[in-house]
Amino acid sequence: MKHKNQDKISVITVLKMHWRAFKLLDREAPLMFLGSFLHESMNALTPYVNVYFSALIINELAGDRNPEKLWKLVLITLIANAVAALIKAGAKCFKNWKHEGGWWQREKIYGDKLLSLDYCDVDDQRTHNLRSQVSQNDNLSQWGLYRIKIFFDQLTLSVFKIIGAVALSVSLFTLKVPEGAGVFTVLNHPLFLLGMVLALLCVTWLAPACSTKAGSYWVKTAEDMKQRNRISYFFGEEVSRDRNRDLDMRMYSQQDICERYYDTADIFGKKTAIVKAAAGPMGAWSALSAVFSTLLTGIIYLFVCLKAWAGAFGVGSVTQYIASVTALAQGLAMLLKNLGEMRNNAEFLKITYEYLDIPNKMYQGSLTTEKRVDRDYEVEFRDVSFKYPNTDTYALRHVSMKFKIGQRLAIVGMNGSGKTTFIKLLCRLYDPTEGEILLNGINIRKYQYDEYMSIFSVVFQDFKLLALPLGENVACSKDYDREKVTECLIKAGFGEKLKKMQDGIDTYLYKEFSNTGVSVSGGEAQIIAIARALYHDAPFMILDEPTAALDPIAEAEVYARFNEIASDKTTIYISHRLSSCRFCDEILVFDNGRIVQQGNHDTLVAVEDGKYHQLWHAQAQYYQK
Amino acid sequence: MKKKKQTERPKYNMLQNTAYIIGLSWKVRKSVVFICLATAGVAVATNLVELFFAPVVLGKVEVAAKFKDLVVAILVFAAALMVLAALKAYIEQNTRPGRSRVNQHMLKMVNRKAFVTSYPNVENPSSLNMFERAVRTVIYDYASVGAVWDILAKLSENIVGLIVYVMILSTLDPILMAVTTLTTVLAFVLTRRIYNWGFLHREEKSGYNRRMTYACQRGSDVALAKDIRIFRMRPWLEEFYQEAMRQFKAFALRRETIYIRADFLDIVLLLLRNGFAYAYLITMALKEGLPASEFLLYFTALNGFSTWISGILTNVLMLHRTSLEISVVREFLELSEPFLFEEGKPVTKDRLGAYEIQLKDVSYRYPGAQKDTIHNLNLTIRPGEKLAVVGLNGAGKTTLVKLICGFLDPTEGTVLLNGEDIRQFNRREYYELFSAVFQQFSTLEITLAENVAQSIDEIDMERVKQCIEKAGLTERVARMPKGYDTYIGRKVYEDGVELSGGETQRLMLARALYKDGKVIVLDEPTAALDPVAENDIYLKYNEMTAGRTSVYISHRLASTRFCDRIIFLAEGQITEEGTHESLMRLDGKYADLFRVQSKYYQEGGAADEA
Repeated sequence: MKHKNQDKISVITVLKMHWRAFKLLDREAPLMFLGSFLHESMNALTPYVNVYFSALIINELAGDRNPEKLWKLVLITLIANAVAALIKAGAKCFKNWKHEGGWWQREKIYGDKLLSLDYCDVDDQRTHNLRSQVSQNDNLSQWGLYRIKIFFDQLTLSVFKIIGAVALSVSLFTLKVPEGAGVFTVLNHPLFLLGMVLALLCVTWLAPACSTKAGSYWVKTAEDMKQRNRISYFFGEEVSRDRNRDLDMRMYSQQDICERYYDTADIFGKKTAIVKAAAGPMGAWSALSAVFSTLLTGIIYLFVCLKAWAGAFGVGSVTQYIASVTALAQGLAMLLKNLGEMRNNAEFLKITYEYLDIPNKMYQGSLTTEKRVDRDYEVEFRDVSFKYPNTDTYALRHVSMKFKIGQRLAIVGMNGSGKTTFIKLLCRLYDPTEGEILLNGINIRKYQYDEYMSIFSVVFQDFKLLALPLGENVACSKDYDREKVTECLIKAGFGEKLKKMQDGIDTYLYKEFSNTGVSVSGGEAQIIAIARALYHDAPFMILDEPTAALDPIAEAEVYARFNEIASDKTTIYISHRLSSCRFCDEILVFDNGRIVQQGNHDTLVAVEDGKYHQLWHAQAQYYQK
Repeated sequence: MKKKKQTERPKYNMLQNTAYIIGLSWKVRKSVVFICLATAGVAVATNLVELFFAPVVLGKVEVAAKFKDLVVAILVFAAALMVLAALKAYIEQNTRPGRSRVNQHMLKMVNRKAFVTSYPNVENPSSLNMFERAVRTVIYDYASVGAVWDILAKLSENIVGLIVYVMILSTLDPILMAVTTLTTVLAFVLTRRIYNWGFLHREEKSGYNRRMTYACQRGSDVALAKDIRIFRMRPWLEEFYQEAMRQFKAFALRRETIYIRADFLDIVLLLLRNGFAYAYLITMALKEGLPASEFLLYFTALNGFSTWISGILTNVLMLHRTSLEISVVREFLELSEPFLFEEGKPVTKDRLGAYEIQLKDVSYRYPGAQKDTIHNLNLTIRPGEKLAVVGLNGAGKTTLVKLICGFLDPTEGTVLLNGEDIRQFNRREYYELFSAVFQQFSTLEITLAENVAQSIDEIDMERVKQCIEKAGLTERVARMPKGYDTYIGRKVYEDGVELSGGETQRLMLARALYKDGKVIVLDEPTAALDPVAENDIYLKYNEMTAGRTSVYISHRLASTRFCDRIIFLAEGQITEEGTHESLMRLDGKYADLFRVQSKYYQEGGAADEA
């Protein structure tokens, strides 16, 4: 991080990065930037209407005082102001409409990335660290992607401010001090004009440069703040909001520990870098920046008033020139400040793009898995070994096996023996480190990813349902075959509960989005997940600990339905409850990432020094008389 | 009903809450108060300098004053502006830290209350709602403390400004000030009424927002990521998001077409006010010869006067809104405690482990429920006894545990410790009697040793090691990068270690052992363990519970074998009670359940039945 900061990003790159941010948001939120453009340009221009017309009034007052002309001017001023304000109001209405929802449109860009990533990258902590860093930058100090909106607003505003100001102040330089003013005719010299422009540029460059310098302390302390924020978020917000911690919190009096850890975050503590900077250099640079912008006010007053005093123009014009040159300076300052901040923001955008550009590394083939009516899919593991990314130990070693079509396969083993990893490789959530997996004799990498996935229906141990209607959850789609959904629910054993549901399969699960939503228990959710797997009717059906949340009676029901659930599919069943092995044709026993035994229950249980025997008896002893 | 009324009317009014924040800030960081005064002072001074700058200088030009006078006037004003601007910028940079510290202090108070409040309070939706609001108020630096101080600075600026402007304008006809005041107040009141639409439709808005947030955040759920890929859920999620976004956009358009009326109103009233001011001042200029510079001064001052008034109105309104939130924070902090803590009787800790817990005619009904979860239950847990509680899901096992551990007080009947009602004890001391592993267990993102000892300073490392050994984690700890000092979890410390479900459960067991409570409560402690590990725990159970009372809750009947007594819970009552053998002989529900579970474990049996 430090290192990267040191080599500055070139201006072209900074602009390119922001152009990309612009395009990204523009695609997600069409017309948003048009809204900004309309509103901000009106914001910049409307004040000039008043400046221009009221200067005319004051000039008239300081000059001829012609009543008829004065009243006419007043009327025009009032009408012009009102019309400008009306247009601005219309633009504001349009902008607010188009801008609403922007926060989520940005979230959507981030969320979509996670949805399209290879699973192994979703499962990688670094991806999530990156993601949360992006969010933190976005939400805490508004750096990153969304900043382009602020930049666009401010750049539009400043550009139009400058245009208006130049239009109203040109005459300041063209109107000459009359020849009779003696020594003051020197004010007519073009060098004065040049000097004025230089002073303007110098000061409008210095002021924002100082404020950018002040802002850079946030960038410098970002790394330090990041860790502080993580501590403060977990111990300050997450723990107290997590209702699953309530019992442990009280039983183990954890409040003091949490408070002690929270205090170590020490955000804005007296000794933290950012607080020291604010009291020292950061505050000083800000103050200096403010001095430079006001210095300009002094110079403008001096120049304009001297010219007026020498007789170049009237008093009313003084107000106009002062207002417009001040606005010119403000416009320029704002322009430069934002350009400077774009450079700071580029550092944050780099992180954003690092996240958005995580590549999909998995090789994607083009073969289709022909939809075979006979479900004749043969899958084979050939000497497969696997290490999780960034780990040194193998989770699977030299696994070779072949699925027999229509077979019921049980996988047993201790925690961490590689059972779930085996499933993840089978479904190609990960690619093997060594060896290959074949479908009908061809490496699975050569198939189209989605097509290959579609031959599996899986109920994972940590499956998830969404807080949407029951039917949609089973079908994983908004439109679905209602009869088939009902049928699958009944088959999975949800029939009784379904009858009691008021809106049937249209009932919302959980209460997030509907007050009449039903909070299903862990066991019921598991049954819905089984129905979901049934609905997708894939040739391979994989159940990972599908009865963990069920009580013995409900578990026995699932067992009893197993035949119906499995029907003609190739079924893989993972369970700690070895009783389930009894109705499977074949059992794979995993130990330390290897398949150590394979066979049916009776053969395996007979091998007395085998792993299966050990597992079986650990459990069965309590149930046998 | 009573509760609802309370939440509608805040307990503390605006002045009380403002005073509260001032007092708190004074206690935590005095500088916050001075910074506010300085901010207001600089703002008023800046405004006055700006007000007089143009008219004074213009006056000099208009009357063709001496060259030197003109230059001096410009330089003095400019210098003053520079100093003030520098001060303002410097103060602004140093404003946030102090306010944030006060906020953090409030967050700590709110958290402490949430951590230690009587358990029924965290199960009660209305107090939970209060907690959520309180947290939301205190986590953002700009929401509570920051807001109050910002408002106070603005209010003082506005009030002082108003007074000065009244003095300036007092030479004019009072009708000018009256018209300005009237149009300003009218604009404020009427536009508020229009913007109230947003407040009335806030539920609708948050409904869309919740949907979109939900849709956007699904991607970061690692568990769901598998389901999304296997079942190709992306189009479904996309449709859900797009639908919510479409509705939200329509909502925004509806709102904006209403809000634009407020702009129209402002435009009309401003037109009236400026029209009147021009008419008056121009007439004055024409009739009484008011110089152009003074015309400018008065016209600017009238607009400024209007700004001060609407500033005061806006800030009072904002203070009122902020005050409502602060009141919620205070009400949450003062939430009444149904349990006794420090003021309760101390639990006598004399005899080693000789604690008898008795449930006498206990019924428990969750607030708002139709029927009792526990109904008229009598149970005595004798010192040193090993009790097993079995029953199906929903039988009331977890509620029973909560009653025994003193997390809930019975709706009827009493829970007695050595014959004394536990309600009169210091509840925190009562909790010290227990070592428990609950179904919803949690680790903190602190070091492994701290997680076991549940302490930062007083850690008996020998004991930590013993407990880790007993829970079967020694080998896992050896593989951790920093051994016992390794952080658990990676949410906070990047070099932390994520534990699997089974490992976490073992860690929970080690934690319970370290605490060495007199009563051990284990609620389904082996659900995430493999058969060998589960059996290992069973075998160690006697050792772990030696000399202690223990309560073991499970629907795995295997676990009941090594308990002295089994109670079978159904519909909140004890329907069967005895040892495994006696219950099997009884041939009731327990025996049924046992047969269902053991069916597949019988030699030869069940394979063909399935």
